[in-house]
Amino acid sequence: MFGSLNISASALVAERIRMTTISNNLANQNSIYDAKGNYAPYRKRVVVFAPGDPATGSKDGVHVRKIMFDQSPFRQVYEPGHPNADANGMVKYPNVDPTMEAINALAASRAYEANITAAEATKSMLQQSLRLLA
Amino acid sequence: MIKGLLDKGAIPVLERMIQFAAERHRVLAHNIANISTPYFKPKDINTDSFQESLREAVSRRRTHKNPLAGPLQVPGTREVQFKDGLIQVRPSFINENIMFHDRNNRALERIMQDLAENTLAHKSGIEMLRNEFDMLRTAIRERV
Repeated sequence: MFGSLNISASALVAERIRMTTISNNLANQNSIYDAKGNYAPYRKRVVVFAPGDPATGSKDGVHVRKIMFDQSPFRQVYEPGHPNADANGMVKYPNVDPTMEAINALAASRAYEANITAAEATKSMLQQSLRLLA
Repeated sequence: MIKGLLDKGAIPVLERMIQFAAERHRVLAHNIANISTPYFKPKDINTDSFQESLREAVSRRRTHKNPLAGPLQVPGTREVQFKDGLIQVRPSFINENIMFHDRNNRALERIMQDLAENTLAHKSGIEMLRNEFDMLRTAIRERV
């Protein structure tokens, strides 16, 4: 029974990391410079989940296997006066679509809620089992 | 386990039922945890076949001379095995619902329904076991 709580907890951690990545994508939707100040538009990050939990060494649960870059093309904006504009006057902006991010955020928070429900069910089952002793 | 006190009547049957519900709960929690994992396919343990083998065990015990006191031998199925009072499960894939683009055939509503049902099954098992224990306690106290 205690293992079931571990499973739900691992999923909560994974979904939270997914949510953090989505927030990071949204925050950087207009960042065209990297941390060192070079012109390199921000690439959208995507989390990839895999079953199993390395934190507890269990086959059950879920963990973030990788945070990958979205290789889709950058958004091109026509800004001829921009210092980073190319020969055609186009500037590359991050390939982040706020609508997609909002939908993914909703999916992540619903998945989080589902896991909370599962954890609550586990807790109530444990509590009832413990009441047998009293 | 105290012989003749805790291995009689409904107690072993309820024990198996609760063990099964606890183990199935783990499988369902795993399904919910992997609701957005690509290539993941939800698994489940068939409740009907478990109920069937439990029924078989109870009716087999009834053929004994003392119907309530005989040992409860639950015949193992492909998914559920009992060994030395411990449960071992091998869940199998639920091959229903459509396959999504991430190769996961999740059905959140179905899983949550199973979770709710399983929690209630566990609860009813616990409540009945509690009643059995209360009766034993009443007998021990020799007072109603």
